[in-house]
Parts: sequence; C-alpha cells; structure tokens
Amino acid sequence: MSIAFIETLRSRMPRGSFPFSKALLGTYILIAFAAPIIAPQNPYDLLQIRGWEASAAPGTLGGDGYIYWLGTDGLGRDIVSTILYGLRISLLVSIISTAVAAVVGVTAGVVAAYFGGWVDALVMRIVDLQLSLPTILVALIAIVTLGPGIDRIILAIIVVQWATYARVTRAVALSEIGKSYLDAVRLLRLPKRRILLRHVMPNSIAPALTLIPIELGHAIALEATLSFLGLGVPIDKPSLGSTVAAGFQYLMTGQYWISLFPGLALLGLIAAINFVGEDTRSKLDPRSKSL
Amino acid sequence: MIKQIAQQPLLELKKLTISYRSRSQTRPVLRDVDLRLRRGEILGLIGESGAGKSTVGNAIIGLLAPEFVHTSGSILFEGRALEAMDEEDREALRSRRIAAIFQDHTMSLDPLMTIGAQLTEAIRAACPDLSGKQTRGRSIELLTRVGIDNPRERYHSYPHQLSGGQRQRVVIAIAFSGTPDIIVADEPTSALDATIQKQILQLLRDLVAETGVSIILVTHDMGVISEIADTVVVMRDGLVVEHGSTATLLDHPQEPYTRDLLAAVPRLRLSSGKRADPAFTGADHASADDDDEPAKRAAILVVSGVTKAFGGTSFGWSTKPRKPALQDISLELKPGAITGIVGESGSGKSTIGRIIAGLETACEGEIVIDGTRVDVTRRRQPGGMLGRVQMIFQDPAMSLNPRLPIGDTLAESVRFGSAPSTDERLVISVIMDRLGLPMTFLTRYPHQLSGGQKQRVCIARALLARPRIIVADEPTSALDVSVQAEIVELLGQAVSQDGISMLFISHDLALVQALCSSIYIFQNGSVVDDGSPEFIFGRSTNAYTRCLIDARPERFTI
Amino acid sequence: MLSIVTRRVSQALLLLLVMSLIGFVGIHSVGNPVFNVVNVETATVEDIRNATIALGLDQPLWRQYFLFMENVVTGDFGTSYVYHLPAFKLLLSKLPATLELAVIAMALAAPGGVLLGLWAGRHQGGAADRAILRGSVLALSIPSFWLSMMLILAGALLTGWFPSGGRGATLSVAGQEWSVLTGDGLRHVFLPALALALPNVALIARLARAGTIEVERQDFIRFCRAKGLSSRRILFRHTLPNISIPLVTIIGMQFGGMLAFAVVVETIFAWPGIGKLLIDSIQLLDRPVVMATLTFISVAFIALNAVVDLLYAVLDPRVRLST
Repeated sequence: MSIAFIETLRSRMPRGSFPFSKALLGTYILIAFAAPIIAPQNPYDLLQIRGWEASAAPGTLGGDGYIYWLGTDGLGRDIVSTILYGLRISLLVSIISTAVAAVVGVTAGVVAAYFGGWVDALVMRIVDLQLSLPTILVALIAIVTLGPGIDRIILAIIVVQWATYARVTRAVALSEIGKSYLDAVRLLRLPKRRILLRHVMPNSIAPALTLIPIELGHAIALEATLSFLGLGVPIDKPSLGSTVAAGFQYLMTGQYWISLFPGLALLGLIAAINFVGEDTRSKLDPRSKSL
Repeated sequence: MIKQIAQQPLLELKKLTISYRSRSQTRPVLRDVDLRLRRGEILGLIGESGAGKSTVGNAIIGLLAPEFVHTSGSILFEGRALEAMDEEDREALRSRRIAAIFQDHTMSLDPLMTIGAQLTEAIRAACPDLSGKQTRGRSIELLTRVGIDNPRERYHSYPHQLSGGQRQRVVIAIAFSGTPDIIVADEPTSALDATIQKQILQLLRDLVAETGVSIILVTHDMGVISEIADTVVVMRDGLVVEHGSTATLLDHPQEPYTRDLLAAVPRLRLSSGKRADPAFTGADHASADDDDEPAKRAAILVVSGVTKAFGGTSFGWSTKPRKPALQDISLELKPGAITGIVGESGSGKSTIGRIIAGLETACEGEIVIDGTRVDVTRRRQPGGMLGRVQMIFQDPAMSLNPRLPIGDTLAESVRFGSAPSTDERLVISVIMDRLGLPMTFLTRYPHQLSGGQKQRVCIARALLARPRIIVADEPTSALDVSVQAEIVELLGQAVSQDGISMLFISHDLALVQALCSSIYIFQNGSVVDDGSPEFIFGRSTNAYTRCLIDARPERFTI
Repeated sequence: MLSIVTRRVSQALLLLLVMSLIGFVGIHSVGNPVFNVVNVETATVEDIRNATIALGLDQPLWRQYFLFMENVVTGDFGTSYVYHLPAFKLLLSKLPATLELAVIAMALAAPGGVLLGLWAGRHQGGAADRAILRGSVLALSIPSFWLSMMLILAGALLTGWFPSGGRGATLSVAGQEWSVLTGDGLRHVFLPALALALPNVALIARLARAGTIEVERQDFIRFCRAKGLSSRRILFRHTLPNISIPLVTIIGMQFGGMLAFAVVVETIFAWPGIGKLLIDSIQLLDRPVVMATLTFISVAFIALNAVVDLLYAVLDPRVRLST
C-alpha cells in the first residue's frame, strides 16, 4: 500500500472516530500503572486481607472505615483492589506475549517469503498446522505440554499467535517481492540483510501492525479463559480472569458482584482495545476486508 | 458511412459538469462537456489519464460512484433529460436501452456462473416474454454472431475456461442481448493483444452496421479511434478540447493539444526507404553506425538454446496456455546497439529478458555476456549475471520502493553498482540533469512523482549502476502516449551516450522499428522471425510477422 | 479434482501425526498418573512399581508412543484412570451432548450472522451498518466464560426462565441420549447454545459484510446492473453465491471451533459433553482420556477443514474444473 494512498485516506477519515474507546484504553493503562498507589488494598498481601469480611456486598462499610464499593470476594479481598491488580497481570501478560509473537511472526513471514523453497515450506506447514486448529485448542495443548504459570501462559499465547502474523506478513511480502522494485534491488546485488530490512520489511509490515490491537484483545481473553479453566496464572496472584473464575461458585448463591465487576472491567478493556484496533484498521484498509 | 442524420440526436450531453466530492474537497472532474450522439454512430472519446473520459461513460450508464456528484448540465436521451426523470423511469431506460462493455474481461463475468446462464438472464431481463426455449435459442444465436466457436458447447462453459478474446466476445453478446440503442464501451480492447483487438473492433463495426446501435467508445488509443470511430471527441482535464469527424480531426487537427497527441503516436513505416524521425535520435545513431562498427564487432550478449518450462499449476483465470515458456531461444546483442524483442502476451518475451538479467533461471541453454559464460540454470551466483545487466520495468508505480526517498534509491544504485563512486552526489546530479529531473526530487517519495517522472528515475537508477546491458521490459506501455515519446527518446540517448547495449522488449511494432537495429519476433516461446527492421517490416514473408503488421491500425502506418 | 482430494487428505493425515506426537510428549511431561491409580498414603514402593508396569510407563518414551499409536489406530486409547472405562467409549458417550449443543448454536449463529452481514454490507456506511459493526466488535470482546456466567445470572438466577446447568431430561434414540427431543432438554440447551452462538453471529456477520462489499464492488456486478438485472436477482444469483464461498469456510471452521470452545461453556453450564470431560481429565491427570479427547477434537477439526476445502472446490468452478 502506497504512502500516498494511506495519506489520502487519512485526510478523508474523520479524526478519532472512536474517541471514547481511546480515552477508555488510556484510562485503563493509567490505572494499571498506578494500581499500587490508588488501590485501597494490596490483594497479594495476606496481612491486609480480612477473612471475616469475605463476600461483603457492594457498599459495605469495612472494619477500617473503608467502604467496599464493589464488595469483597470469597477470601475477603476488596474487589476494586483485585480489579486494579488483576489488570496489571492481564496487561503485562498480553503485551509481552503480543509483542514477542508479532516480532517472531513478522520475521518468520518475511524470511519465508524471501527465501522460498524449503524454508518457506517448513514455516508455512507449521503455520498451517496451527491455524487449522482453534486457538483455544492450541493453547490447551500448549498449557498441557508446558504446565501452568505466568511464564508458561505467555509462551502459550506466543505459540498461538505468532502464526497469524507469519501468514499475513508472508502474503504481503510475497506480493511485494513480485513487484519490480525488488527485482531492481536484486539486480544491484544488495546483501540479503539489506534487502530484507530496508526493502521487504518496511513494505510488508503494515498489515501485521494493524493486527496488533486485535491480537492484544485476543491475548487478554485467552489468558483470562485459561486462568478461568484453572490452567493459567496462580490463584495467589489473580488476573482478571481468575478473579472472575473464583467468583463462579459464589454466583449460584447470589453473590454476583465477585464475578460481575471484574468481568465488566475485562470486557471494557478488551472492547476498548478492539475498538481502537478497528479504528486504526479501517483507516489503513477502507475495505476492512480482513476479519 | 451512415449519414442519415435524424433531426434529434439520440443522446446529447449539455454542459455536463460532474465533481468529485471527498470530505476535504470538491474537485470538478468534468466541466461543461457537450456531446451529441446520432443513431448508428460510433463516437470515440479519447484522452490521456485524468481526462475524465471514463466519467462521461459512467455518467451515461448511471454507474457513477457515490463520490461523483452531477453538479450541473444535463444528459438528454431522445430529448428527455435523464436527471429530470424519476428514479424508476431512468433505471428502466438505462437497463433497456443503454448497455455497457468494460475493459477488464476477467472481471466482467460472474466466475461462478456459466456464460450461457449469464447470457440467458440478460435476455430474460430485456425480453421477459420469451419462452425458455426461445431464450436459449437466442443465446446460441448471439454467441454464434459474436464469433464463438461451438456455441452449444461453450454455452455450458465457465468464464475461466475461455480465452481473453472469447470472454470479451461473450461480454459483447450480453451487451447486445437486449437490442440496446446505445452501448458504452470503456476501453473494450485495451487488455487484449493487437491481433485479437483488431478482430473485436471489426466485430463491433459489423454489429453497428447490422443493428444500427450507437457506440460511445472510451479509449486512450488513437489507433482504436482511427479504426472504427465515425466522430471523435478529444478530452483533457475534464474539458472537451476538440471534436469532429474522425477523418477531419486526424488529418487536420485544429487544437495544439490534439496535434501533440497525434504526433506522439508512433507510426510504423512500411514503405522501404530512409527512416528519418527526428524524435528518435537513438535509433538514428544506432543505424548510422550500422555499416561500420557494431555489425562487425563481436556480440556483447549471446544467448543460445535457452529453454524453460513452467512448473506448477495456478488456480484462477487461465490467461496463458500451459506450454513450455521458452523453446530453444537464441539471440545476439551487439555492443552499443538496441535489439528489439516483439511478441504478444504469453510469448515469453518478458521471461527471456528476466533470464538474461539473472532474475529467473532456465532449464537449459547458454548465455555469454561480454565473453563470460553464465550458468542459466543457477540463480544468484556470485559474479554471475546479476549486476552486469540492469532492467527498466513496465510499471513505474511498482518499480520504486514506496518507502525510500528517490535520493536513497539512486544512492543505493551507485554504491552497489558495478562502478561505485566516491562522490555519489555528483554522479547522481549529472544523471538527473541529463534526464531532466530536478534535484529537489532527491528528497521526494515515489508517490509524489508522475508516472513519466518515476520512469525517468528508473532509467537513472539503471544507468547509475553502470551496467553493460540494460533490459527494458515494455518501459512505456503503462504511460500516456505523450510521455511515452519522451521516455523512448531518453532510452535512445542513454545507449548512444553511455556506450551500453539494450534489449528493448515491446508489443509495439512502431516503437521497436524506431528504436532498434535488429528485431526478434516471439510467438508462444519461440523465435519465429528475426532480422533488421528493414527486413522485418519490408521483406519478411513470415506469416506471423505479417499478421502482427496487419493488426496495426492503418492510419498510423506509413 | 482428484489431486485436490488426495493432497488434502494426505495433508490432514500428516497434520494428525504431528498433533499426536506433540500431544503425547506434552501430556507425558505433566505429572505422574500413577498417583491417581494408587493410594498415595498407603502405597508401598512395590505397589507403585506394579502400577507403573501395569500402565506401561516403565517403557522408554518412544516405545510408549508407538504402543499408543498402535492402540489409537484400533480405537483403543487405554482405560480411564478415574472412571475405569475405556477412554474412547467414555468419550463417545459424551459426544452427543456436545454435538447437539454445537449444532443448535450454529443453527442460531449462521442464519443470523449471514442476514446481519448482508444487511450491513448492502447498506455500507449507514446507521444500521455502523450499529452492526460496533455490536459485532462488542460481541467479540466478551470473554465467553464471563458471557456464560452472565447468561446464568440473567437467564436463570434472576428471572428463573431457564435452568442454570445440566442437561435436563433426555430421550434415548439410537442408543444415545438426546436433550433436544424433550421440552426440558431444550430449555437446558438454550443458554449454553446462546453463549456459544453469540460470538459466532458477530464473526459471521463481519465476514458476510466484508464479502458483500467486496463482491458488490466487482466489475461483474456492475456489468449485471448495466445488463438491467433487478437488484434482487443480482443479490440472490450473483452476490450470494460469490460470498457463499468464504462463508462456507468460516462456518465450517467455526463449527470446529465450537467443539473446542465447548470446553469453556460446558464447564460453566455443567453440560456433560466432551469439553467438560477434557477439562476434568486434565485436572485429574487422566491421561488416556485427555489424549482421546484432544485427538478426537483435532481429528474432527481437521476432517471438517478438509471437508470445507473440498466443498470450496465443489462451489468454485475455477477450482473444480482445473486439472
């Protein structure tokens, strides 16, 4: 896609068509950073948790004069604090895994497209294998193989996601390589590294970049799902997903707030990311052809 | 000539003004366009890119994109203003009486439906009263009329099973199925080879004579106009520059723009004798030396017995027959000369160019460049072909890295070319100056340049790498005709001044004749004819060569 | 056509082989199943060794794999350590529940998604289009486990309209129990099916919308307009067949995806299908059942994929008629 094309599109698009989602996402990131300062309680610190105030309804006045605005969970942890800290874990896991997956995937895609032959065949067979299975299944297999833990979750998400970047980037890189400017560059006998970094990569990276927000949303949801299934982050350092999961047993007895509010926070986060992603993508690709 | 002029024109545009409206601006695309079309007339609408000629066609068929707004003026069909009618009448009129033919035959037909079904549904839309059997009969009749062999079998074919020419014939059959009054044909033959183009134009001409339909023919090609149009409207930047009957306008153009446009059309010379066209100095230079030096010198490039077969299958439209791509190709290039390779699409002319440049491999054969033998079966060998041969490509829009400023692209060429210079800037500025490129371009990006400017940059890039040979693969076919002449001239100068040799690949006989000192004619992957331009265009008896020459518009053959 | 079939089938087989290898090695590295079989507190060293030999775990890993593959080919995944039933038979007994859940969910999702997508695509840029687009982004943002829980909260706990879990009354037909055949069963299946369907409605709608816009932009559709066809005819005879190709792909893939996502939904709704079986077995380290389930879902998915690809070839003459 030529720069001119993108620029004309930019000029035609109203700026910030989803300003709300951008503001929301900014707020999320801000409060995730500030969690230790603004959270009324440190849910990881057992000394601060009052077991006797477990399952308190929203608005209950706690023993130390603090009002549990969103209630407490089954262990007596303040829900507001749990959300704030859980947000940190969710964001940390998803950002690290998405970033690594994008770098790995883009590199693999460009390399496969440029070298072709068996390199291409090998990379693309692995990609096909992975993309032909549902993400949750790949993640389950990865977790069953790797075992539980935050680092394993990150690894599992990378394993799930790199293939998408690789396939998208390879397709674009292939069409770029078919263009005559790369023939011209080959005729000049540039070193391979220079061809890849200066010519192929910059022209093939745009679709992968537009994938990042969507995949970030997927990563958060996937982490939450795995944690929910009890295969994710350990319960003493709860992410948003495991907090919701912990509230499941209380849901049936009417203590809905333990899973409702962290779930809402999770939904808001994923939706904000998806809307921002949708926005950037429709700017870059007016046809919004991809999913 | 059909000259029974009815009092009232069939279609008339009065001061038609159409604007393109985007969020940031509104820009006129057509300004006060006047046009009259009589019954049975073929009206040619010609102009270079951006002239607004397709917009006129789309406005008449009613398929303008929503961004295009009809600002003022009117379109009168039999005296009734289209824009004053209600939506329903207008659509009814358009669907019954105005038909269309588009340029891209690969995209005009639904890939999932047989051509018979597509034809039948068009007939049914036009004449709902016909019985199923009658409809089918009429389809077969139409297919036969447009020259489809075995229409009964072809009826059940899918579009991808037909050749490009056949597909365009089916499109014409569909356009004629409702016995329309007007057909708007937007570049109906531009995607086809010259020989097929000639047949399709002939078919249109015959159908006009038979049915009395009128055609608005939108094209960029003076040759097409000269072949079939009765009257011509020349457009530029949304304005009508000149109009008149084809004969008058071609022979006595009034406006300077029309004159320039006509002068830029390359002409094929068949009368033997001197070739003296001041525009193509390169050719003169090469031919002037014909007798003394290059002919006797050893060839700088000798290709012998190169054969290549296509591997693999591809799904999609079959535009090329699956055959060996190249069969036993042998050719020679003399130092300081320009050798032409001519052929239609699928003839393998581009493939041999890419093999010589080292971008593709062949199955067998030998290439000797400047005395060094090169292994054609292996790619990217150190010290091999890559580097001694540079290329200029067809589409300048794709020939430059969109994310690098022009200066960086050129500097890369100097640094990695065969004669790296310590003073890159100086070397670049000399070449830029010679090619008429301002130095301010160095910091620009490709999208900020016009097609002709981009192609000049590509020439600069090729020259800066100091190659022995340049392969120019259809370097002008994506450009407007006025720009084409400049580029051809620059290529000729480059060869004469820098002492390089050039392989010029083209489908345009006139260009090759003007530029080259020897010519190879390619057909289906083989060389079928070769020799000097005098021989090829004067004395050759090869049937295919004659066929190519005959496909040229007569008006531009001297 | 034949070459497409053979190529597709051999690809699928290769895929399965790799899958089984990864799965086998993977599950092997997690926990020792012997402790599920013997009583950890009273077992002697001798007991543990006997159990290890009984389970074949004393063999080297590669031999265990070959043994396993040999058994798999004959449909024998071993005996569940927990239920003491053949793993494959256990799996089969849970299959109807998952299948009926997935089929009902897709029956809800596919028509709804296609209609919404067509509507949005035909009115691109309009208010309905924007609403459908935003709605789909929102729907795709809801984590499915939370959606399931909220459906229970809203549809069962607060209103009491639907039961909060389980399969309800079933009717036995062809040796299997089916919920869809009883009113009570239908009430039980509604909420989990809705939870599975909602994200798919959004996904299918987006794809249908993109396809509609893409196809309607093409020259042949413009040519059809110029031909004078009614817009109804263009929609049903030209647009729909052309977008049906990508739609069939996505619907097929998503059906497989539902089998996998049933893991989450079944766990929450206590729906006794293979998804719940898988999660329970992973947590109980019931290795034969985990292997049987993962293999089954993978096989089903890969088979479905192959069928979709072949269907694609049937629908598209460009593929079908290429030699």
